[in-house]
Amino acid sequence: MPKLREILGHPFWQAVALLVAAYLLFKWGIAVLPPLVGFPSAPVPQSVVLQYMLTALVGILIYVSYNEARWRRFKEPINATLVDANKRWLRATLLVLVPALVGFVAYDQSRPKVSAPLQLRSIHPAPPGQITVRGRTIRLAGLENPLRSRGTIEEHSREGRRVYYQNCLPCHGDLLDGKGHFAHGFSPTPLAFDDAGTIAQLTESFVFWRIAKGGPGLPREGAPWNSAMPAWEDFLTEDEIWSVIIFLYEQSGWEPRRWEVEERAEGAGHE
Amino acid sequence: MSRVVGWKEGTMETGLIALVMVLAIIPSFHLSAQDIERGKAVYEKWCTGCHGDTGAGDGDAAAYMLPRPRDFRRAVYQIRTTASGELPTDDDIRHVVDQGMPGTAMTGWKSRLTSGDRDAVIAYIKSFSRFFDGAPPQSVDFPSAPRISDDGIAEGARIYGELECFKCHGDRGRGDGTSAPTMSDDWDFPIRPTDLTRPWTFNGGAEVEDIYRAIRTGLDGTPMPSFSDVIDAEIITDEQLWRVAQYVHSLAPGRPRVREVIRAGRTARVPDDPTDSAWVEAEAFYVPLVGQIIVSPRWFTPAVDGIWVRALHDGERLALHIAWSDPSASPDPLWQEWIELLATTVTDADGALEPVQGPDRFTIQFPARLSDGMARPYFLGGDRRRPAYTWRWRSSPDQLEVGTSTGLGQFVAGAGAASDVAHQAVFADGQWQLQVTRTLIPRDTSAAPTFAEGVAIPIAFRAADGSSGETHVRGSVSAWYAIYLDAPISATVFVMPVVATLVTAGFGLLVVWRAQRREGTRRFLPEATCDIFSSSRCSDSWHAAAAKLAHRPATRMLVPLSSRSAAPRSPA
Ligand code: HEC
Ligand code: HEC
Ligand code: HEC
Repeated sequence: MPKLREILGHPFWQAVALLVAAYLLFKWGIAVLPPLVGFPSAPVPQSVVLQYMLTALVGILIYVSYNEARWRRFKEPINATLVDANKRWLRATLLVLVPALVGFVAYDQSRPKVSAPLQLRSIHPAPPGQITVRGRTIRLAGLENPLRSRGTIEEHSREGRRVYYQNCLPCHGDLLDGKGHFAHGFSPTPLAFDDAGTIAQLTESFVFWRIAKGGPGLPREGAPWNSAMPAWEDFLTEDEIWSVIIFLYEQSGWEPRRWEVEERAEGAGHE
Repeated sequence: MSRVVGWKEGTMETGLIALVMVLAIIPSFHLSAQDIERGKAVYEKWCTGCHGDTGAGDGDAAAYMLPRPRDFRRAVYQIRTTASGELPTDDDIRHVVDQGMPGTAMTGWKSRLTSGDRDAVIAYIKSFSRFFDGAPPQSVDFPSAPRISDDGIAEGARIYGELECFKCHGDRGRGDGTSAPTMSDDWDFPIRPTDLTRPWTFNGGAEVEDIYRAIRTGLDGTPMPSFSDVIDAEIITDEQLWRVAQYVHSLAPGRPRVREVIRAGRTARVPDDPTDSAWVEAEAFYVPLVGQIIVSPRWFTPAVDGIWVRALHDGERLALHIAWSDPSASPDPLWQEWIELLATTVTDADGALEPVQGPDRFTIQFPARLSDGMARPYFLGGDRRRPAYTWRWRSSPDQLEVGTSTGLGQFVAGAGAASDVAHQAVFADGQWQLQVTRTLIPRDTSAAPTFAEGVAIPIAFRAADGSSGETHVRGSVSAWYAIYLDAPISATVFVMPVVATLVTAGFGLLVVWRAQRREGTRRFLPEATCDIFSSSRCSDSWHAAAAKLAHRPATRMLVPLSSRSAAPRSPA
């Protein structure tokens, strides 16, 4: 198909194809990446897409105008559309469609919209270096679950099951899917522990911080005012918290992330 | 014609049906040790937390929910196609295990357990009772349903009265019948007659067939009777019982969609009281409420689990209309027995429930400052840093307080003039209707937030039923929602697009004209315009006129454009 090859080799159509590809990538491509490595994802906001597209456009213009011949070839179809007699239909159509589109966008922008105030939140914000739980100061970096070196896992898991069913169940659910019988009343909804993007990604010390300090202990980027996650230091002892952590990993089948790996990588913080 | 009303979802494949029949025939003690082991393993991993190691319904979480988890040792099952007092079929149990029981803590397990695991666990829970050792139970033959019609629904409403469903469920079905305060189940736990206007909480499902099954075979172990005997006694016909089911089904919509933004429509003048007909027309928004299980003392068994919110404004005042089901205007001496039973049933995790009735309460909160950007007060009544502007209503004495709160129960009256806010509450047929009205601009703008049109303002709700011992802290809560006051549409909304269109079109024409002039193909506008818009060649008169204007021979203009312009631009 020489025709297709001609089109593909033409700078104008190359530029169009690049723009379309860039749009698809920014709009949907980026959002599929995090789940591939086990992180939850969110759609890219329109304003960010627009910003990226502008950058892409500048790049493409530099490419087509880089050499004189390519620039001339690039302009040809544009020029032809503007002047050729046999393109008068295309010209007329564009002269009607483009202003109409601009008009519509202008309407869409100025029309009053009913939308909830934007509440962006980071699901796993950086934890503090140390926390004070029931009067005891605990350094989080390198902190291990003390119960793992004492007693048996079955024992701790049984205790953790009791703690979980008496405290966490209505929100996080008996299936650990974040769909307990009260979960629908909260926003954000309780996190699902069977999901690869929560406790499976975290060290036990991070989980300990989240349980002990709950929603109110989140930094600003975690939108602490919306989180229904209670601060469990008000209800549970340190050992109870560590045992429910063991239960969460036993029941879900995930392994906690280990410190060794991170320390070797010289990164004491979490994502 | 009669047929067995089977289960819609689940065991449709013949293979599975065969398997289930085989399981039903084999008495539990004939199950292979391996099956028992598998069922036991599934049970101990997923069911013991509620139903308990021995199936006694006394798991770790049992006291934290109402209704309580089922005690399997007695083999009493609610959701059955079999007659009252009989065992359920395996299909019946399978249905509950697959779908769960809406309105309770019992979840559906279809997504988590394999079909084989579910069969094994069903066999295992049957092994908790010797009753299953006998012959397998038989489903009742249900006749098919008559077609739904308005007359049929009216007939159903009549039979609802004749069978005295209202004694438990109330005249309007809101669970406020005269027997309601005295009710307990076979285990002496308190139980509420279902609020029939909330079909998404029906334990056995909300379809007409589900409702028919519930009234035909009853919910064993609860006061909900089976009405098979009235058919057998020929007091009513089977068709009439279907009519009752259709009537109950017609009482309410399906599970409402929860929307984050509540719209306050614009009206000429906001209504004065909650029974005004304007409220019937206003759009209703459903807001789910759940138990406050976040700060001490927690409350795991809330009485109010959802409200309907309507809002209107007239440019000067905002009026909110809140409606929720509550079987009693608390305190009510008739309900003393209820609260005493409740106090011995629910957990006293954070302190015992005193069997003392308080008033019913309703709380509405907004951020005290709307200028904090994304940040809001803590959704449970605010905090010290960001307090919540709060309206607290109580039923007895009927009173609405205006103030600022810095946490649940941490309330200081007097955010601006209390007289800014007016309210009226009406209790009827097991429902509270509360209207609260305030001027959009408060008298003291430094003390209370201004409700501006055209922006979403955060809003949250809390409710408490005094007859269930609920208070400001022990009660039900909502997340943050938003309320949006419709703004009159400004002229710019229409002017902007027109201007944008015209400017773009003008710019487009200019570009075309410039390009054509540069190419030397056209020297002036009329010809260019003609070229753009006319389909065939422009009429001669056009060209003549154009030519005259340009002082050029008309023939030159008629040379086909392409033949001249193509040459220099032919592809390299
Ligand atoms: C009232 C509802 C509620 C209860 C009860 C509750 N949680 Fe949560 N939990 C949440 C919500 C909502 C979130 C997500 C928002 C957030 O991150 O704060 C969450 C988040 C978490 C996280 C963070 C997971 C992550 O990936 O960062 C952990 C861990 C957790 N909960 C453990 C528990 C444990 C253990 C209990 C019981 C001791 C419990 N929760 C009880 C609502 C609840
Ligand atoms: C979160 C607590 C909880 C867990 C976990 C739970 N159940 Fe239930 N279950 C309940 C409650 C509560 C009821 C009673 C609801 C009622 O009486 O309205 C119930 C009722 C039942 C019933 C009786 C249905 C009927 O028709 O009366 C069966 C069968 C049942 N559960 C099976 C199971 C099985 C099997 C599992 C484990 C895979 C399980 N449940 C796990 C809470 C739970
Ligand atoms: C003696 C009191 C009583 C009478 C009379 C009674 N009910 Fe009920 N009904 C109950 C109770 C209690 C429940 C709640 C059972 C539960 O929550 O498990 C209930 C539950 C229901 C449900 C919900 C079923 C489900 O799947 O959860 C429906 C529907 C219902 N009743 C309809 C009726 C109709 C129709 C009548 C009259 C023909 C009627 N009831 C008569 C006490 C009664």
